[in-house]
Amino acid sequence: MRKCMFLLAFLLSAITLKSQEKVTLNGYVTNVDDGEALIGATVYIEELKTGTSTNVYGFYSITLPQGEYTIQYSYITFNTLTQMMTLTTSTRNDVELTPESTELEEIVITDEALDANVQDIEMSAEKLDIKTIEKIPAFLGEVDVLKSIQLLPGVSSVGEGSSGFNVRGGGVGQNLVLLDDAPVYNSSHLFGFFSVFNPDAVKDVKLIKGAIPANYGGRLSSILDVRMKEGNSKKRVISGGVGTVFSRLAVQGPIKKDKASYFVAGRRSYIDILARPFLENGETLFFYDLTTKVNYNINDKNRLYLSGYFGRDVFRFDERQGFNWGNTTGTLRWNHLFNDRLFSNFSFIVSTFDYGFSFGENDLDKFDWNSRIVTYSLKPYFNYFINTNNELSIGGEATYYKFNPAEAVGVSDGVTQDISLNKKFALESAVYIDNTQKVNNRITLRYGLRYSAFQYLGEGTRYEFAYPNLGERKELIGSEEVSSNDVIADYGYLEPRASIRYSFGLSSVKASYTRTAQYIHLVSNTAAPTPIDLWTPSTNNIKPQVGDQYALGYFRNFGGGNAIETSVEGYYRTTDNQVEYVRGADIFINEFLEGDLISGEGRAYGIELSIKKNAGKINGWLSYTLGRSELKTAGINNDDWYPTRFDQTHNLKLFGEYKLSVKTSLSANFTYVSGTPVTAPTSRFEIQGITIPYDYYDERNNLRIPATHRLDIGVKWLPGKNRSARKVDDYFVFSIYNVYGNRNPFSIFFSQEDGRVVPGNPTETVANQFSIIGAPVPAISYNFSF
Amino acid sequence: MRKFSLYMASICLLFGCEETIDVELKDAPPAYVVDAWINDKMETQVIQLSLTQPYFDSSEPTPITGATVTVTSEGKTFSFTESQSGSYTWDPATSTDRIETVGSRYTLTVNVDGNEFMAESELRRVPPVDSIKFTFKEERNAFQPEGYYAEFLATDPVGPGDTYWIKAIKNGIPLNNPFDLNIAYDAGFNEGGNIDGVVFIQPIQDAVTPLNEDLDEIVPYKLGDSLHVEIHSITHEAFTFLQQVQIQTQRDGGFDEIFAEPLENVSSNIMMMNENPDVQVIGFFNVSSVSGRGRKLTE
Repeated sequence: MRKCMFLLAFLLSAITLKSQEKVTLNGYVTNVDDGEALIGATVYIEELKTGTSTNVYGFYSITLPQGEYTIQYSYITFNTLTQMMTLTTSTRNDVELTPESTELEEIVITDEALDANVQDIEMSAEKLDIKTIEKIPAFLGEVDVLKSIQLLPGVSSVGEGSSGFNVRGGGVGQNLVLLDDAPVYNSSHLFGFFSVFNPDAVKDVKLIKGAIPANYGGRLSSILDVRMKEGNSKKRVISGGVGTVFSRLAVQGPIKKDKASYFVAGRRSYIDILARPFLENGETLFFYDLTTKVNYNINDKNRLYLSGYFGRDVFRFDERQGFNWGNTTGTLRWNHLFNDRLFSNFSFIVSTFDYGFSFGENDLDKFDWNSRIVTYSLKPYFNYFINTNNELSIGGEATYYKFNPAEAVGVSDGVTQDISLNKKFALESAVYIDNTQKVNNRITLRYGLRYSAFQYLGEGTRYEFAYPNLGERKELIGSEEVSSNDVIADYGYLEPRASIRYSFGLSSVKASYTRTAQYIHLVSNTAAPTPIDLWTPSTNNIKPQVGDQYALGYFRNFGGGNAIETSVEGYYRTTDNQVEYVRGADIFINEFLEGDLISGEGRAYGIELSIKKNAGKINGWLSYTLGRSELKTAGINNDDWYPTRFDQTHNLKLFGEYKLSVKTSLSANFTYVSGTPVTAPTSRFEIQGITIPYDYYDERNNLRIPATHRLDIGVKWLPGKNRSARKVDDYFVFSIYNVYGNRNPFSIFFSQEDGRVVPGNPTETVANQFSIIGAPVPAISYNFSF
Repeated sequence: MRKFSLYMASICLLFGCEETIDVELKDAPPAYVVDAWINDKMETQVIQLSLTQPYFDSSEPTPITGATVTVTSEGKTFSFTESQSGSYTWDPATSTDRIETVGSRYTLTVNVDGNEFMAESELRRVPPVDSIKFTFKEERNAFQPEGYYAEFLATDPVGPGDTYWIKAIKNGIPLNNPFDLNIAYDAGFNEGGNIDGVVFIQPIQDAVTPLNEDLDEIVPYKLGDSLHVEIHSITHEAFTFLQQVQIQTQRDGGFDEIFAEPLENVSSNIMMMNENPDVQVIGFFNVSSVSGRGRKLTE
């Protein structure tokens, strides 16, 4: 496959050489303060009324007839740079943009090119820069990427504090979470209260909910692409913060000015340190993470980036017992310019997620269990700027998976029993081609095709199951050992992607179709994913999940300089082979897991409304989603459609910031979300003294928990009288989460009352409502950089 | 997964809150319930017939009276007669027939209100309880206080596919909270665990030391306490049923609810032999071999 890529690359460079009368302008767009590449900066040629934008590495290339041009480089919250250029030969032009001053004044955006939401072909995508994320009042004052994206239309979670997020009615395991190209298999710290992304290290967050470009694949519902900062290439900067839950420290700076830079950021929670005097038995609960990156501009044509993430949560209950989990990712990337118009990137990625779980009193009596997923990926990517009207992406991906579901040892009275499960191996690969074509001023098309393939490989066991009773555990009828690297199951899908934008006046209409295939599955039958959920490959028994999404949107800006951006989008997605579970599925240390997984079909549809005011003293946004997410699985819910556990009818999020003075700004967010459904019984009965709930109608998710709503507020305050004379750039954030102390229900569950049943005494059964946070949570944090 | 729940409970103290609420549930007609777990012990065997009741109705279940209840096996017939309403019994002392012979199949037939219900089971082998051990342990953490911790020792016979229900009786009182439910597939937790022909794994041995009523602390044994441990052989279907019962009834709330599995109906091996769309029958029939051993904790 790679051979083909290189051939293609040479072919493309050959074509380039032929075009004589045209010239190419290209280069990188960076921030003048810290040298960070600007992703999605606009390059606009006034004379031609056309332009391009920088890719994720900050690179742009535009090919035009020879001539004299006025070129505008612009990026939101940066001053626009206008240059006059006479282009007679192809020119490399790296530019640095200056951030707008932070002075309190009305920001008037005059540049037409900033109406990107209307003019871009892109739809169903949300971008959050870290500055915006930092403004949102956060739980315990800790700024969080994943909690912030939940304020966007189409994004929800099963409840407050739960890990993961749901996009357009998709499951948590149907999101591809990328950190500098590396897949992150579990994105939560502290069971989901916080995410693994250190806000100090994050440069740019992009969530793609639909119209997924062909270069992305492998998950059904969304792509969360998180890009790390490269590190300040101008000067050394130390920044950090002291918060309620954790402290952060980041150091960045040039290794060689404008050539090489580094970035190191760490966080650690410290409840355990504060509580240590009160803990006698070695109980502890903490997490830490380290995010780091080095990059090197070898020359004009070559750049290297090396980034890594190491994080771990540790929860010990005494010195020997407890559990821990963590992710490690590493990405090595090489940007290479074959010529003026052909940009390429080669990434090599390693990503692992593992957890360990142990209990027992000593080495003679104990139980230890470890589980791990390790993946290695190689991704070549070519970005070919053919002409002003066509931009082509071609590339591929190959990922080798190693699943280690359980490495478990039980020791009982000194006798060791190894109850480990066999490892599983798989290879996922894909090739894609994608072109963005400006047909005329009104119409832009983007079309692509991705072919993905998956091989479930030996060494392993091919199990055969019979499935006589729908919804009940499958019966093992045979198994066959398969030797190393032999194929146990083989799948391939063509995934067409297409979008169209039609613009008129200040408005545009966009439509898209996306097909996605997902070959690895997050096995989780609980309300929210737990840290000990497993990823498992498609096998001869578990089919890949396939989704088709259609989206249609209307985008319109209002006011001078597009002060207000609005959009309405509708989506409809159907999925096949959605993973479901038999009754009483046993997903832990189970060799025959495949016998407990079944598949159903899914459908999700909804309307998203977004109103954004980006500039001014008062700014913010409103997001509203009306949605439905349902499943249908033979043997469950009388074979009828039922809502998913995270189905929400209404989801309203309101965020606002008010700049009170140069030194003080206020922010608030309000959330109103319809209740998610849970399953309720109708009746009860007794077997051997145990009271068991029973639903006469055998329905799933038939009871809605009450709607939840919450208001959070925050104040950002800059200390010091004379800010410009201050050596440290610092600020305080005071916040209150859940201001009016609403007890927002997470779930309703049914149980018998505590205690043992005394024969002859009837058992009481009750419904309980569980809320995670039932009071206002105030917090204060101090942040600095110098 | 009991320990895991304990961990969760401790985090709950940091944040969560829980309250009992009123919920409107759908009305449903009653279904027949057959609770038929009999064994080879030389004592009166009981089969209970009752009706389901609304979920929030905590009165005694309504008994089903006037049924004919018979268990047959390889030419033998065990007639269960109604001794109290809804309670059908057979006493081995009154018969020469015995529930015995590992591998033999048993059939339950219940005739009531013009309906016929049937179920099948098989008597399976059971290993002896070799010993019961009490070990004094210092306080280790908030959940494991100082005291005597009990465990039982027994070895699963070689050959995969044995399933058991381990019952503990402390001071004559059966430990029958949903969290006390202790089942094993061979010597491990499940079929896929592949732990055959060895001593039961530690968590299964340890489970005979119960939790307190709030489920947040283990209650160790004290001097003078007694413990009787019984292993009941069960069928695979019964094992699956009890696994489902565990999931559906071990709801201690708190932070655990974030990771709760959906409520689902547990399986049943009672079949209705006649067609009647208005009648539902649920429940379970299982025949067990039982081994047991008791011990009193003395100095």
